[in-house]
Amino acid sequence: MPKVVYVDFQGNRNELEVANGMTLMQGAVMNGLDGIEGECSGSCACATCHCYVDEAYLDKLPEMSENEDELLDGTASERLGTSRLSCQIRMADDLDGIVVQLPEEQ
Amino acid sequence: MFRFDPFSPEIDANPFPAYKTLRDEYPCFWSEEANMWVLSRYQDIVMALNDWETFSSAKGNLMSEMPGRAGATLGTSDPPRHDRMRALIQKAVMKRALDHIIEPAHAAARTRLEAVKDKQPFDFVEDFSANYTVDLIAYLFNLPAENLETVREKAVLMVQSDPVTRTKSPEHLAAFEWMRDYADTLVEIRKREPGEDLLSQFILAEIDGEKLEDREIQLTVTTLIMAGIESLSGFMSMLMKNLTDFTDVRDALVADPSKIPDAIEESLRFNTSAQRFKRCVQKEITLHGQTLKPGDFVCLAYGSGNRDERQFANPDVYDLERKPKGHLGFGGGVHACLGTAIARLACKVAIEEILAMYPTIHSIEQEIQWMPSSTFRSPLHLWLKA
Repeated sequence: MPKVVYVDFQGNRNELEVANGMTLMQGAVMNGLDGIEGECSGSCACATCHCYVDEAYLDKLPEMSENEDELLDGTASERLGTSRLSCQIRMADDLDGIVVQLPEEQ
Repeated sequence: MFRFDPFSPEIDANPFPAYKTLRDEYPCFWSEEANMWVLSRYQDIVMALNDWETFSSAKGNLMSEMPGRAGATLGTSDPPRHDRMRALIQKAVMKRALDHIIEPAHAAARTRLEAVKDKQPFDFVEDFSANYTVDLIAYLFNLPAENLETVREKAVLMVQSDPVTRTKSPEHLAAFEWMRDYADTLVEIRKREPGEDLLSQFILAEIDGEKLEDREIQLTVTTLIMAGIESLSGFMSMLMKNLTDFTDVRDALVADPSKIPDAIEESLRFNTSAQRFKRCVQKEITLHGQTLKPGDFVCLAYGSGNRDERQFANPDVYDLERKPKGHLGFGGGVHACLGTAIARLACKVAIEEILAMYPTIHSIEQEIQWMPSSTFRSPLHLWLKA
């Protein structure tokens, strides 16, 4: 099963298996990882699953929707060029090993 | 031959043995009584919840749907429209937006608990959780103070179904119609004089430059009132039933109230009030050797997935230390309950106040009457003594 590396704000690395088709938000929430809330359960409606994606993987991600773009303007932690909502990133083979940094707050 | 009738009073009272048979022997079961497939294993339910293109909500999500509701509410629409509608309401119901209800919730809980001091035993459902949730939702939605008792009575009736005809009775349908008219009047008032409340925000909102349709607003408001009052009260009653059935858990919470959220999560897993929801198949799919055709309805038995031994160790044990993750107590996927933060907060405040005031609260000898509903499961009355 493909893996995702979640790096929390303190720098701790958590490597989790996330099945293809599941989102990175679900991978974190269903494994009880702190640092990703996902309050709207992946409807792209709340921006509490904000993460910073390792630049090596940015180009492999689906294009950002207008909705996601708007929500990222309202994140609790600063929006950077690598910011994405993890509920909008679906696991696939070419994302195996993807590294995402979690922000200080959601 | 094994049968599964989600309308039967036996299933209302105790669905768990049937769920186990379903999971072990018939993981994709055709229920003639319900006229739909039943998925009962955790992994299958999660799969369906995450694949809205195959398992659509647009033909209704309640096991016994109400007329005209499918397609017009958050819970009964699919992405992308669902997501746009949800975004309009989500902001107002997020954890960080709810600080303003904490104090009113404590005050409401204390007032309602004071009122039962001289009434022992008291009915937790009618004397506490119903009133407390109405107080809270009336505050949140800024509902007019008059006829709140009727609002609650209709919210309870509209989610019920008749065990004999396996549909909604005229009384249940009348309750739904009453609530729809109530929502309609409320929407008209808010349109004229919009306020800061959640409903006003929703009514005034636009999706892609267009206002929501009147029917969408009316039926979504109807559903929010129903969920805010009935579903919340139903779950709180199940939570309180657990704390009085398992008094060691109650005592652990009295000793350390910081564990109350753990009890809430374990109750959501152990016997959530939202037992079964519905989807409609859009693309042919084969599961466990059965072929589901487009147009077939599918019941997702959350209450069974939460007891699936393939996912949760010793699932029939209520374990305060479990801290379950990924439970289906609020459903899942994009349609997971909108009010999770409100529900968690309301329950935490209520249990804090109850155990502070009545640390030895316990149940009395009684035969529980269960609500007749194919979707929800909660006691009609829960007699407790402080």
